[in-house]
Amino acid sequence: MAEPSGRAFLTHEHVLAVLVIGETALFAALGSHFLSAGNAAEVARASVEIGLLALALTPVIVTGGIDLSVGSLLGLSAVVMGAAFRDHGVPIGAAALLAVAVGAAGGGLNAALIARLRLPPLIVTLGTFSLFRGLAEGLTGGIQNYSDFPERFLFLGQGRFGPLPAQVLVLAGAAVLVGLLLHRMAIGRSLRAIGYSPEGARYAGIPVGRRLLLVYLLSGVAAGLSAVIYVARLGQAKADAGTGFELTAITAVVLGGTSIFGGSGTVHGTLLGLLALALLQNGLRLSDQPAELAGILTGVLLLGAIGARSLLSERKRG
Amino acid sequence: MLGVLAAVAPGFFGPANLRDILTGNAPVLVAAIGMTLVILARHIDISIGSQFAICGVAAGLLAKAGLPIPLAGLGAVATGALLGALNGWLVAGLGLPSIVVTLATMVMLREGLRWATEGVWVQDLPPGFQWLGLGQDAGRLAIPIVALAVFVLFAWGLRYVAAGRAVYATGSDAEAARLAGIRPRRVVFGVFVAMGALTGLAALLTAIQFIDVQTNAGVGLELRVIAAVVVGGTAISGGRGRLAGTLLGVALLGLVGPALTFLGTEAYWDRALQGLIILVAVAADAFERRPSGAVRG
Repeated sequence: MAEPSGRAFLTHEHVLAVLVIGETALFAALGSHFLSAGNAAEVARASVEIGLLALALTPVIVTGGIDLSVGSLLGLSAVVMGAAFRDHGVPIGAAALLAVAVGAAGGGLNAALIARLRLPPLIVTLGTFSLFRGLAEGLTGGIQNYSDFPERFLFLGQGRFGPLPAQVLVLAGAAVLVGLLLHRMAIGRSLRAIGYSPEGARYAGIPVGRRLLLVYLLSGVAAGLSAVIYVARLGQAKADAGTGFELTAITAVVLGGTSIFGGSGTVHGTLLGLLALALLQNGLRLSDQPAELAGILTGVLLLGAIGARSLLSERKRG
Repeated sequence: MLGVLAAVAPGFFGPANLRDILTGNAPVLVAAIGMTLVILARHIDISIGSQFAICGVAAGLLAKAGLPIPLAGLGAVATGALLGALNGWLVAGLGLPSIVVTLATMVMLREGLRWATEGVWVQDLPPGFQWLGLGQDAGRLAIPIVALAVFVLFAWGLRYVAAGRAVYATGSDAEAARLAGIRPRRVVFGVFVAMGALTGLAALLTAIQFIDVQTNAGVGLELRVIAAVVVGGTAISGGRGRLAGTLLGVALLGLVGPALTFLGTEAYWDRALQGLIILVAVAADAFERRPSGAVRG
């Protein structure tokens, strides 16, 4: 279970990389504009919000936990930001910071309930999934739609640095940070240890509670940040922002080879999983396939990925 | 809560309002019974919202095709059982984690249905379909009665039938259950099939309340149902919980929305309050059982 990558000849990431290359070749043959710089930028732009959530969910799932509330928290942060900017005259920069702060507070609530009261993450975040979305709906009366954000703010979601969409830099920065945390710091090892066996980790002197606080807090901050980028890209904030994002993000993480039971997972795996999902959606659209096919194939990919994974680990044990 | 309601808004207890709440929540109860079994066996099924939509459409299409209404209803239940068997095979047969399996089937079934129907509702149903041809008043009465009958059947079965005890044993410790002569894989498979069949029944009980069958029905049903089961005191780590608790959970969460309306609050806060109830319920449960708290479930 622990650290299957690194030594094995054929790792999960290799298989995924082949899959991504295969997708690219297939859609390049099928669609007319698939292999172009413009389309590559589009794919990257569209996957930043889910990508931030997936990056933050990787450490969470590595500890054997789950966070179902990130999509709802994105919605709540977006709505608070919109309300602060339009109705209370808060400058846009401060409003964006406020969105991240709301994310941190929401993540903090999850963290406190999971790490301090030791409640099961699935249930806690199921509760906050309803709570955060409900607060967003209550605050907006279900109908408010905040828009008319200033041009320089929208640059973050719609502008470009050279060929790169602006928000991709945020995703890249987040990937480096989470990568350092998970792969280059002692904390990363302790997160795997917790996912492998929380009791064992505690006996080994790892501050399990504090580590869990950190990962759920990070997950909340990522939701807040993701909300800012979402609002900047679409130019509007509504209570239903980010509905269903948690499931897509979890799919990307699990597709990327992180074990849903905890104990193993990598950041580059998650990024590859994200890329595989994004290419699938974009490629099918460009080759005039029905949008529903993307969802069905996503499910097939997910089942195939965990099926292959459980076969591989069984062979290793046997 | 009920006391405050009675004092502030006596209209809440009017027969019309209570009847609406009962018919509206009967399908949720039926699905929650299935989910209690799944969670008792230490698994989870988040694909039931999609199953619900498919079974409703199946009932509508079968009825339109000229099948007698009872057979069409049976078809909905059978469809659900089949979809549950798919989940059960993936979980029990291949040993894949139920949360990932049902996440995948949730997306696949929902998108597959949308592809097949192109989002068009099933309309022009035969006249006997709505309220099962019983007429509105009798139909409204029949729906909660069916749900209650299912409840009594399963509550009795879980306690006094070997298969029911096996569900508890499997959820508490699958290895120990195996050594005691139970076949945990069969139990888990059976539990998913039951979940699917009950979802089919819930879809039928919902479909017959309306003129058309919506193809986008049941979105978010899984979380609502899981919430009711957990609020009812069933442990997410399996092996512990009772159906009576689930009944209370469904009632509590089902009363929040209508109660808010009667107290003059905007219904938009409904979801927030439901979330709060879940958190308070699990936190209270944890405080009761200190100091032995599980780290994860």
